[in-house]
Amino acid sequence: MTATDTTFRHAPMVALEQLEHHLGPAGPAAERSADDLAEEFPVADVAALDACDLALHYVPEEYGGRLRDFERSAALIRAVAGRDLTVAIAHGKTFLGCVCVWVAGSAEQARRVAALVAAKVPVSWGLTEREHGSDLVNGELTAVVDGDVVRLTGEKYLINNATRGGLVTVLARVTPEGGPRGFDVYLVQRDRLPGGAYEPLPKVPTVGIRGADISGFALREAEVHAVDDRVGEPGTGLETVVRSLQLTRTLCSSLSLGAADHGLVEAVRFASGRELYGKVLADLPAAARTLTECYADHLLNEAFATVATRLIHTVPGELATVSAAVKYLVPVRTEGLLARLRGLLGARAWLLDVRGDEVAQGVGEFQKVERDHRIVSLFDGNTVVNLSSLVSQFPMVARGHRAGREPEPGLAVAADLTAELPPADFAALRLVPMKGVSVLHNLAPAAAELARLAARDPDLTPVAGVVDALLAGTRELLGEIAVQPIVPPDVPPYAFALARRLATMIAGASAVALWLGNQQAMSADPLWRKGHWLLAALARLGVPADDTALDASHAVLGTVLRDQVFGSRLTSLLHARLVRERTA
Amino acid sequence: MNSPDSTTVDVTPADVAAWLVERIAEYREAPAAEIDTTVPLAELGLDSVYVLSLCGDVEDKWGLVVEPTVAWDHPTIDALAVHLHGEIAS
Repeated sequence: MTATDTTFRHAPMVALEQLEHHLGPAGPAAERSADDLAEEFPVADVAALDACDLALHYVPEEYGGRLRDFERSAALIRAVAGRDLTVAIAHGKTFLGCVCVWVAGSAEQARRVAALVAAKVPVSWGLTEREHGSDLVNGELTAVVDGDVVRLTGEKYLINNATRGGLVTVLARVTPEGGPRGFDVYLVQRDRLPGGAYEPLPKVPTVGIRGADISGFALREAEVHAVDDRVGEPGTGLETVVRSLQLTRTLCSSLSLGAADHGLVEAVRFASGRELYGKVLADLPAAARTLTECYADHLLNEAFATVATRLIHTVPGELATVSAAVKYLVPVRTEGLLARLRGLLGARAWLLDVRGDEVAQGVGEFQKVERDHRIVSLFDGNTVVNLSSLVSQFPMVARGHRAGREPEPGLAVAADLTAELPPADFAALRLVPMKGVSVLHNLAPAAAELARLAARDPDLTPVAGVVDALLAGTRELLGEIAVQPIVPPDVPPYAFALARRLATMIAGASAVALWLGNQQAMSADPLWRKGHWLLAALARLGVPADDTALDASHAVLGTVLRDQVFGSRLTSLLHARLVRERTA
Repeated sequence: MNSPDSTTVDVTPADVAAWLVERIAEYREAPAAEIDTTVPLAELGLDSVYVLSLCGDVEDKWGLVVEPTVAWDHPTIDALAVHLHGEIAS
């Protein structure tokens, strides 16, 4: 901690500032727009990230990389996403391609993959197929084992980096009957294959991230080594993928945060420069409230994503639930806030070459932010997949809460930003949480702590009341989940509604934990003082709040939002300077 | 807190199998006699969601924390019973 003008400096945010400094101001909007319209891969922007060795942040330190804490890597991806989501997705894909190896591969495999990443080789992840989409257990790409050799034949489709990638981790069916132990993950290194064994499929035209390499590949008797190239023990492929997805789904939230960072800047700048009826648009009450409600949505997403990402290190056994909740909630709520900002921007959200009063090629970036972000709720497990996953966990979630449990020490560490994170232990990732969700268990003591704080400081009474209401809602929900029958494979609609509420409650409880964990360290910050951001964020989840207190919190949020946007700082709960001024 | 049954000392694999049959018969709403202990659980109409729930029942009854992957690695009632018995005995 340093006693500067803004309380303590969070290390991931310092890393984000350093990356911003290295990258310098974003390049001309005209070039980005031209690449996008022409569906050209953003070669120069990706090369700039490679020049900063960003991909080393996808590689654990023990293998020579710089991935020590996931929150730091997430912050870096967010910074890139805030500049251009297409670039973030095009580059960040390498992390997805590698993650199975970090989770289940041998040290030798990990070192080999790390060396390729350090040499800037793009890595891709071959999971989905044309006929089966997210239904991985029905995948048809086949591995035939023949002594020391395995021959892979089949197709993977809608694969990011499939054409540019030099290494692909491929999920393959090993036994004809398939089933949960019938798949393995193989490392397919293209420069070791003869021509024709790996055939990239044509680029697939898309609505957003149009420049990204979204394609696929066909393998024809592609030979890999039965042991050296198999990630994990035989038959563990699906399990490895499911555990790896817990990490990637959590990190996907940083793409949404970056998109919202970008969208908020465009909206605030427009609303502050636009005069209507003799008043600045941003000063009209309805417009001001739209902006601050979107900001409150964003801060809630940030709080949830932050806690979820830190839980990777401290409570990995619960990530099955937390990652599904965060991957469902953050992209969907970001889509919602971008849609509201689109309404505020009006025609400016629809024009390619107009930004406020400025007219120049490609400056109208809001439409691209919204188009690019559409993919985030689709990939790496879409919204239905994540909600279904939560539904499947109902019995364990309810059981955990019937049983009661001791406070989880890892949650306190996750919620305290000044606490150092222990190294991530991938072996501790579980397919289901065996003891429920500790952030929900912790909500009752958290509400009690807030009540104690409010007894000493009446300014905290409104936020304490909102947290009480959140607790009541959570108890009601857990009661409803507990009496659900064990559902058949056709999940009924009401179960999806319960899953949405469960994700909402986990998000709210995470925000409460984060506020309580840092309110002392952040006491000089107007967002944190009197629980302003927490009150506004929880109200956005539908938790009842006192109108007068809510108005006061929104007034504070409005001031901070403008200060952050015009002070070239990240739209965030925390302090981070940006180098964001674009040139036309 | 749940506490496991205290009488786990003299349990046999057959006891564990009988308990599994009872649980599964209740879930399938079928007579226990109709539950084949030698076929894959999937053929008994048990999906992965039920397996998660069964893991919870195993913990309640036997005090064992098991992952749903046990049903992947021991996919019949008999196989699962032998495995769980081994865990209980140790």
